[in-house]
Amino acid sequence: MRGASMKARSFPGDLDSLSLIRQFIADVAVEAGLDSCACQRLCLAVDEIVTNAIVYGYIEAGVKGTVDIIAQLEPTALVIEVEDTAAPYDPTARPMPTEEDLTRPLEERVPGGLGIFLATQSVDGLRYQRAGEKNRTILTMSRTRTL
Amino acid sequence: MRLVVALRVRDGSDVEIELSGELDASSAPQFKGIIEQAAGYSPKRLFLNMMQLTYISSAGLRVLIFAKQKMGTSTDIYVVGAREAVAQSIKLTGFDRSIFLVEEIPRT
Repeated sequence: MRGASMKARSFPGDLDSLSLIRQFIADVAVEAGLDSCACQRLCLAVDEIVTNAIVYGYIEAGVKGTVDIIAQLEPTALVIEVEDTAAPYDPTARPMPTEEDLTRPLEERVPGGLGIFLATQSVDGLRYQRAGEKNRTILTMSRTRTL
Repeated sequence: MRLVVALRVRDGSDVEIELSGELDASSAPQFKGIIEQAAGYSPKRLFLNMMQLTYISSAGLRVLIFAKQKMGTSTDIYVVGAREAVAQSIKLTGFDRSIFLVEEIPRT
């Protein structure tokens, strides 16, 4: 990101924002010099976090809000913060699927927990913090090479 | 970018669903709807043609769970032509143990 090391945008907290958010992330990832594989992985991770925030935090809770994305370019990493104003929800609090869960036939699967699993597998760092009235998830992708 | 889905009944008792675009939580209901349509044909083989699918998230994978649970052991489900990132998510979550990941639709 030339001239500025931070970009922020606020999106409506509905599912129509998902593809817009992915495009925003793809753009900052390219500017950060991430290769296309890393860009795709970062988009997926952000999408999963945002989807949970919108579906559980807003839609199912019957409240409206925004999803704010803050992208910070650091020397060795691109850091994405995802913020929402829904009730406290820590996506990292639920246990990850076990090896047994991941090898279970689809007919026997419980359809939960995959999103956060994919998110944590896709990025170099993922952590949650409650910041005042906001949920904040921080995703980190290291910049192995720059353009 | 949206999702476009199309269903085709093939020779024998095969059904093909073609997916183009992006499969996320907003477009997953479309995919689910067409799976329900496909289930109505009770196919022996269901081909999910993902050659033009550029993106999948866990919402899309959940529909694969739905498909397998709806159609049970009587239908073999194939994912055809999945791009690298899509195939990677399918393998990472172990879904390739229950569906066949193939490059193209196999002959009978």
